[in-house]
Amino acid sequence: MKVFKKFTVTALTAVLAVTTAFAGVAAAADTLKGKITINGSTALLPLTLQAAKEFQKLHPKVKIAASGKGSVTGPQAVKKGIADIGACDWDASIDVPGFKAFDGQVANKVAVIPFATIVNKNVGVDNLTTEQLQGIFSGKITNWKDVGGANADIVVITRSFGSGTRVNYQAKALAGGDIVKKEKNYKETGSSGDMKTAVATTPNSIGYIDLVYVSGSDIKAVKFNGVEATTDNVINGSYKIWAYGYYMTKGQPTGATKEFIEYVQSKKFQNGSLKKLKFIPISAMKG
Amino acid sequence: MGAEVESLASRAPKKHTEGKIKINAKRHSRHLLSNSLSRYYFLFSILALCFVLGLVIVFIGKTALLLFADVSPADFFLSFNWTPEEDFFGAGAFIINTLSLTALTLVIAVPISVGMAVLCAEIAPKWLTSFIRPVLDLLVGIPSIVYGYLGLTVLLPFLRRVSGEGLGDGLLAAALVLALMVLPTICRISDDAIVAVPRKYRDAAYALGSTRLQVIMRVVLPAAKRGIISAVILGMTRAIGETMAVVMVIGNTPQLAKSLFSPSSVLTSNIVMQISNVEFDSNWNYALHMMAFLLLLISFALILIIRFMGRKRRDA
Repeated sequence: MKVFKKFTVTALTAVLAVTTAFAGVAAAADTLKGKITINGSTALLPLTLQAAKEFQKLHPKVKIAASGKGSVTGPQAVKKGIADIGACDWDASIDVPGFKAFDGQVANKVAVIPFATIVNKNVGVDNLTTEQLQGIFSGKITNWKDVGGANADIVVITRSFGSGTRVNYQAKALAGGDIVKKEKNYKETGSSGDMKTAVATTPNSIGYIDLVYVSGSDIKAVKFNGVEATTDNVINGSYKIWAYGYYMTKGQPTGATKEFIEYVQSKKFQNGSLKKLKFIPISAMKG
Repeated sequence: MGAEVESLASRAPKKHTEGKIKINAKRHSRHLLSNSLSRYYFLFSILALCFVLGLVIVFIGKTALLLFADVSPADFFLSFNWTPEEDFFGAGAFIINTLSLTALTLVIAVPISVGMAVLCAEIAPKWLTSFIRPVLDLLVGIPSIVYGYLGLTVLLPFLRRVSGEGLGDGLLAAALVLALMVLPTICRISDDAIVAVPRKYRDAAYALGSTRLQVIMRVVLPAAKRGIISAVILGMTRAIGETMAVVMVIGNTPQLAKSLFSPSSVLTSNIVMQISNVEFDSNWNYALHMMAFLLLLISFALILIIRFMGRKRRDA
């Protein structure tokens, strides 16, 4: 007991000493301080967390709290003043299908997110055109044989309304086409993880997901208008299903928030950690 | 404090009588004090519970009622058209789906779990009982997401194969998962209720020449009815409120379930699917709050109905 107590005291003292020393060094080198709260899209959360970790090493006096929920909660939290940055999978400063523009907010591009059409491994089709996808998701095409596959019912798996992935997929892959609910062979999922599990376990199913989630042997990405879903094809402009990820701010960002966004947009972060997380640097896109 | 009283008491006989009386008086007042203090503590406990319950009802209800400023109650309760992006907030399909899912779950779970309870309490040899009971207790504690995952990866492929459906999601899949979840709860509480039936009831029935089945059906089960009903209530409230397991196997499509295999949605699953994607000050958000409020009302109502039924039958 006594030994344990002694040990605890020593450990505490050591920790205190080390922290003070570090804080002292940092304070000498860096004057930036503040608190940044980030809310919104789960798709961008891994990127945000990584950036926050690196940024706090450079500026230890800046506190960053990041959390993820639905995309729309990002700009909402910014509007209400709860968060300084709202991560969102679409540009919330303009109208998109289903969601009105958030007035007075500035959209800061931070990454390019590619999406892929995925099917269960038992589906023989490996290419789908815009018209075929429109037909499938609007319920007009219900059998795989109509798009060059085996004679089997198509099971449509989709994200529920309000998902950023759904907003972008509808805009880019379906060219604004509708996703229509059906009596049979239709299912909505609540997250990218659920989507992957559902498509992986349901034969004859089709769905869509962030390209980073495409892995394993149970699902496969199909070509879109003859182009394979790879980051290279996104960069050279031939693969069209992708979108920018945005940090929404109330007006132009200032202070620590501005520094943080600039750090995320910097060459060092974009070509380093961001690439490692399988996002695409914004500088790689021409448009 | 208990130890102190004990040591005082044991020391007391050594002293002369006067001291003993003094100590007894002290002890008496101390008991009075702790008695009245404990009364306040118990009162405080129940008030804290009421306070939280009140908060839930007031805050959910307040946000929920904002909905009716724009949407007529008739539309909300009777319409089957839930298309929030086009301002149609008809929750009728969810209400009916919730009720039918709960009913289906109980139809599957109650006979089996009461049968298991009878086996445990009346028929099974001791070694089997002492194995089954801990296993059931373990099953009660398994998180619902685990049941949901089993449903998704084991039950759905099985249902697909048996029924020939493409998807398999729907009321039947959800009811089977829920039945599995509420089964141990209903079984264990019924089991306790049956064990609590006095031995002499059985002895009397056997003495009158009853068979074992007659004793169980005509004497033991009626005597344990109140306990079994409260077991069913507990199971039912769990079935109505269960969210995660249901979300994974019901298909989450806002429409009326016209068959056991059509993908649909219940109140809980619809709330959890959409709540993170809605704007704070929108009718959509209010409608989801109204659905949560409705869920509260439905479970209150069902509990009241079953209590009422149980009392009436007992009187007759």
